[in-house]
Amino acid sequence: MPKLNHCSDLEALRQKLQEDRKCIQSTIIIPNGTCCQASNSPAVINAIRKELARQGIDKNVQVHLTGCHGFCEQEPMILFEPGNLIYCHVTPEDAKEIVARTVKNGEIIDRLLYTDPVSGKKFRTETEIPFYQAQDRQLLAYNKWVDPCSIEDYIAVGGYKALAKTLTGIAPKTVIEEIKSSGLRGRGGGGFPTGRKWAEARSVPEDEKYVVCNADEGDPGAYMDRCVLESNPHLVIEGMMIGAWAVGARQGYIYVRNEYPLAVQHARLAVKRARELGLLGENILGSPFSFDVDVARGGGAFVCGESTALMTSLEGKVGEPRPKDIHTVKEGLWNKPSVLNNVETWANVPSIIVNGSGWFASKGTKGSKGTKIFALTGQVKNTGLVEIAMGTTLHDIIFKIGGGPKNGKAIKAVQTGGPSGGCLPVSKFDIPVDFDTLYETGSMMGSGGMVVMDEGTCMVDVAKYFLKFLQDESCGKCVPCRVGVDRMLEIVTDITEGRGSREQISLLQELAETVAETSLCGLGKTASNPVLSTMRYFADEYAAHVDEKRCPAGVCKELIHYDILAEKCTGCGVCLRSCPYDAIKGVKKKVHAIEEQICLKCGICVTECKYDAIAVG
Amino acid sequence: MMQTVTLKIDGTPVRATKGSSVLDAALECGICIPHLCHVPSLKDTGACRICIVENVRNGGSSVTASCTLTAQEGMVIRTNTEKIRKLRHNIAEMLVAQAPNSKAVQDVAVRCGVKEVRYPFRNDNCIQCGRCVRYCTEMWRANALGFVGRGKNRRVEFPFATRPEFCKNCGSCTLYCPMSVTPCGGPMKRGEESLCGKCESQTVMTPGMIGACVRCDLGKGFQCTRHVL
Repeated sequence: MPKLNHCSDLEALRQKLQEDRKCIQSTIIIPNGTCCQASNSPAVINAIRKELARQGIDKNVQVHLTGCHGFCEQEPMILFEPGNLIYCHVTPEDAKEIVARTVKNGEIIDRLLYTDPVSGKKFRTETEIPFYQAQDRQLLAYNKWVDPCSIEDYIAVGGYKALAKTLTGIAPKTVIEEIKSSGLRGRGGGGFPTGRKWAEARSVPEDEKYVVCNADEGDPGAYMDRCVLESNPHLVIEGMMIGAWAVGARQGYIYVRNEYPLAVQHARLAVKRARELGLLGENILGSPFSFDVDVARGGGAFVCGESTALMTSLEGKVGEPRPKDIHTVKEGLWNKPSVLNNVETWANVPSIIVNGSGWFASKGTKGSKGTKIFALTGQVKNTGLVEIAMGTTLHDIIFKIGGGPKNGKAIKAVQTGGPSGGCLPVSKFDIPVDFDTLYETGSMMGSGGMVVMDEGTCMVDVAKYFLKFLQDESCGKCVPCRVGVDRMLEIVTDITEGRGSREQISLLQELAETVAETSLCGLGKTASNPVLSTMRYFADEYAAHVDEKRCPAGVCKELIHYDILAEKCTGCGVCLRSCPYDAIKGVKKKVHAIEEQICLKCGICVTECKYDAIAVG
Repeated sequence: MMQTVTLKIDGTPVRATKGSSVLDAALECGICIPHLCHVPSLKDTGACRICIVENVRNGGSSVTASCTLTAQEGMVIRTNTEKIRKLRHNIAEMLVAQAPNSKAVQDVAVRCGVKEVRYPFRNDNCIQCGRCVRYCTEMWRANALGFVGRGKNRRVEFPFATRPEFCKNCGSCTLYCPMSVTPCGGPMKRGEESLCGKCESQTVMTPGMIGACVRCDLGKGFQCTRHVL
């Protein structure tokens, strides 16, 4: 394809591509992101392609591979256009029937339709499904139409329109004003106003400036940045280009963690294709603006998601944070002014330029505008990526979109913001989800992880899990984070193992506050959030562990014991055979008993017993 | 003429060379802020966090290490508030629990008011202040030492764990190590660590260094126990 030398070339190409696409009669869309591939989508794709060829209709039907469609619970999925029909949990064996009946004859295969776990109803189209209905999908809506490996797809849906608009008539200052008035705030966790960051970087009198995209997403249970970057890399690149134009940068970097191989691959390919078309490089679209992007891979350190550590790592040094008393917009990468935003923030920029700041600002709450993607995981029926307008309540997300508890146990808490965030109890579920409210309630937006927990989760154990994670991931440079987190873990472990005391709880509180106040970087400053928030909202659980040496959720092994209930036990012997430690004694048809000295509390007998005869106490 | 900035430390206007750190500015004019990983003429990294101060601005204040905070015109710094004393005490307590054997660390802890340690003692041989690494890298440009590992497993090591040829054998690393000052009465036995509190070592290493403790009157600021004794 020839290079685009002017905005009109881009428009002409877009017209041509859109005309081409009108000729396609029917399309089978198969999401093929990392999560889809994990649920065997490549096998489904192969089977469908083979079947289409075998039945001789592979010329008329286009198979379109896209990024993740968000509903990870139901993958592998297939969508049919036109008609918006959606099939869930498709297996390679279904391919023959799908092609023969649905593709050829337009029949609907009932068993592949989505069944709502709440009402039990079946739904045909995507728009009817409650999971999608309750969302406001702006960024994720593109995923369905765009093959991440094809720049043509992106241009056909209106891609690089914002860039052309910017280069032909919007001065850098106006771009910044537009972003400022849209109220866009950083999606990476802190929620710093993006426009202000750009303005600060612009005001520094330096020739060399950088824009950096933070795709080093490491929170357990969060994967929205991966999804956006691997499903629609051009959207992120376009956002970076507009940012670079606004602040006056000529070079950009996408720092993506190496554990996201598909995202790395797609981002690299996208950069290559954009260069081929002349959308990256010297004099883009005939304007004086020159810009290029490089993809840098991170080595998998959680701390490299922190701005200064990321930049140190980009420079080729050990990824350790440095003091931040001078902001990175003034002295960042190679001590030059650098604008660092995360994937989702960059992805929001093009639509603000195209639709105007008013459109963006019309969504959301007073302090937080626009939509935000969350990774909804844990004990809910529908897990996946959820894009909602800011200000939607936690209750709506968990019950309307998430479909409520999965295993019949009542939902107890939700953990937002990953290891830096906190746990919020049910009583706080009516708060609107935005930056400020979450912060006030002791948690934070973070990058957008949302882990739902039910009655079977011990909150002290949750705190222990996150402390263990942070202890492993702390870079170890400063004392409060390295030693403090380690000591907090020591105390929490003591509590979960029955050695806790009241003094230790107050020491834990004091220690958590010290670590939060005095740590060098953001990782340490927020490291105590899981502890502080669980202590604040679930003090009774801590008290039960310490005073009564009891774990109310039945999770902490040292504090629980298993008992066989005489009135329920039928003496079937299943538990006796399944116990790996031979801790269960008994004869057939007689009530069995567990020998506590031998029992290692693995819990296998509880899952094996069909009569619920084993109680955890 | 050297450019200067004026800032207020604990209410006193202080003139400092432009670009110098708040810690240097304070020490130079006789306000003692306890510190451990700071070595004059080396680049500060803010690792030990003992030298924390409150930086008052925009109607609030933030806690930050003074060694990495560049002095700026009109800055308002507080070094001895209740909050800072408590946080500093907690950090010193963590440090001395990690390395009770070091006279230097004990000394800092006692001066920061640590009377008892609420954590089980560990006998670490290194508190990772990074003085050796920085001296080797910045002063001698030898690069014979560096940090390896992450978090709990981070440690000071030669490249690939063998002493390289370019190690000049100068011994600065041991000279500047707060662990290498001979502890009182020989190393404490494991499980028998205690804080005697009577230790009167010159805080660390090179005599005459700025900030070395000479039982002065200046420690009032953070209620230095040496001063009270």
